[in-house]
Amino acid sequence: MSEDLKEEMKRLKEELASMKEELREVAERKRKRAHGIYIDIGNRVRDYVEDVMEGVTEGIHGELEKSIFIGPKGVRIFKDREPPSGEEELKVKFPEVADVMSALGQEHRLRILGELMGGGKYMSDLQEKLSEITTSTLSSHLDVLQKAGLAVQEKVRGRYLITIPGRAAYKMARRVTRFLERGRKE
Amino acid sequence: MIWHDYQLGTTISKTTKDTRLWDSEKGIVEIHKDTLAIPIKLDDKENGYIFHGQGKLLLDTIVETEEGAIGDPVEKPLNKPFLMLGDPEETQQHLTEASEEDLTRMGYENKQDLIDAAEDLFHRFFKNGRTHSRHRFSEDRSVIFAFRNQNDKLDILVAKGPKLVYTAKDIVFVSNRNKVVLKRPEEVVCSGNGKSVIINKGRSVIIRK
Repeated sequence: MSEDLKEEMKRLKEELASMKEELREVAERKRKRAHGIYIDIGNRVRDYVEDVMEGVTEGIHGELEKSIFIGPKGVRIFKDREPPSGEEELKVKFPEVADVMSALGQEHRLRILGELMGGGKYMSDLQEKLSEITTSTLSSHLDVLQKAGLAVQEKVRGRYLITIPGRAAYKMARRVTRFLERGRKE
Repeated sequence: MIWHDYQLGTTISKTTKDTRLWDSEKGIVEIHKDTLAIPIKLDDKENGYIFHGQGKLLLDTIVETEEGAIGDPVEKPLNKPFLMLGDPEETQQHLTEASEEDLTRMGYENKQDLIDAAEDLFHRFFKNGRTHSRHRFSEDRSVIFAFRNQNDKLDILVAKGPKLVYTAKDIVFVSNRNKVVLKRPEEVVCSGNGKSVIINKGRSVIIRK
């Protein structure tokens, strides 16, 4: 009796092992098939993106060879210089940028830059636009902007002008605003 | 061609009040009261001065472009002898004879000390030897200044109405109303009639219309 039972148990175990093996094979085939389909789509998309990018890159490269960029607002010419690659862009000058960011990190200073984007302004013009702050506060904000190189004051006429870094900083503020607006809509 | 001879005078005067020697939309040269003055004569007529006292030079060597303002203003104290050629009429009204005390206050032991210092600057400006020019600065309302800089060389400012040229160690600034050229170690900027060209050290050229 016990011998029969042992035989039966052995047979069942073998059947179970066989079924497990079959299941594993089915799962493997399914996984491979799924992976295969994914790879196919991925390759197609990737090939397509690569084709498009290659076309764009060739176009840009052609322009680079001529060393001229023509944009909607002007022309940029690069001579004997590659445009900054992604790797170069990562080389942030942390202390200098931190100073600029610090200067930007105040609502009134951003508003002052916004006013200067429209052209040189006298202290009185700015005071009129930012009437909620005192003249001395306005003056200290202008000092901060000047020290950060975002604005410069004429010594003779006394107007305040926005500098190239100042314009770039304000454009960055606009871009941040755009992201914030997009985030709110989503 | 008529040549005019420049000579350094020997009388020493001082200013009786703060005096603005030149001003325009872009710059100011002014001297304070008690600044010493030695005349520069052209064919025996006063045509400029060498000044030594306290004063200041302000110049807005800034170019406004669509990309943003480029350049920094110049603000320099004028506490070393400097030369001015130009119409002396306005300045003459604010001059009086200087005393020994006035000389001592400026660090000179005697009159000759000041004349020696003035001659050094005078000859440096006129490149030594015979000092002559075809130009009479008082005739066309132009003015020229020569300031001794930290490297003991001369920074030159020439102005006539709205036109001005300023050359110093690290800067050349040329301006005529809204047309401006600025050359600094890191870049050259040309701007006029709403267009600008910026050539910077990274060799990029930006042309804005």
